[in-house]
Amino acid sequence: MGKIKVKAKLKNGVVNVKAMAKHAMMTYNMAEKKTGSRDNANFITHITATVNGETVLDMSTSQFLSKNPIFKFKFQGIGKKGDKVEMVAVDLKGKTYKGKGKIK
Amino acid sequence: MKRREFLSMTLGAVALAAVPAAVRAEDFRKSKPTVWSAKTVDDAIKAMYGSTNLVMEGVKLTAPDVASNGGAIPVDFSTDKDVKTIAVFQDANPEAAVLVVEPNKYSVNKYSIKIKMAKSGTITIVAEGKDGKLYAAKKTLDVALGGCEG
Repeated sequence: MGKIKVKAKLKNGVVNVKAMAKHAMMTYNMAEKKTGSRDNANFITHITATVNGETVLDMSTSQFLSKNPIFKFKFQGIGKKGDKVEMVAVDLKGKTYKGKGKIK
Repeated sequence: MKRREFLSMTLGAVALAAVPAAVRAEDFRKSKPTVWSAKTVDDAIKAMYGSTNLVMEGVKLTAPDVASNGGAIPVDFSTDKDVKTIAVFQDANPEAAVLVVEPNKYSVNKYSIKIKMAKSGTITIVAEGKDGKLYAAKKTLDVALGGCEG
């Protein structure tokens, strides 16, 4: 737990990123059904990606992303082969998830 | 309190009281907490943008017509407009908001995500243009097997 897989590929000046966060994404209803308390719900609430210190993705999310959610996004104008795409996600309980991948 | 926030909070006050836990967290979840607890797509769009006056153009949304697994429905969306934010909503789950993206100067506005839907419903993508218009696209799909009880 606590990891994000990041794959990034540079093609025609655009960096394509595919990221998968390992997270149960427990909704309120699921938490109530499985543990008896809605307070046990937990899901990623915010995810960002940076390259060389510059933000390339800023996303606020809710419980309705799938389990182990996949994000695909693109950016351009920054990042060359060998640079790292770093991603950080925060969940409802405040736990931080990190991952990085080299641009290929 | 800013006027804009006050307005949106009033609109979603009832929903807010029901799910106080959604108020924590960052950015749009913090600045616009009512968006995340709104029960209907209209309420959520209103809470987010202050209007439901959608222009049905400029946004491309791709999702399957029939999703065999409601736990992971692939949704692709893109826009060629100059936008401030893009938000994803659906009407099959207890609350409407799925995510809000804030593009920046590096962004190519094409995203793919996977979402959960408890039953058949409609996905709505709203992109707030820098010209103030709300560009949108909708797609109704059948969900054969509901995803994880919403």
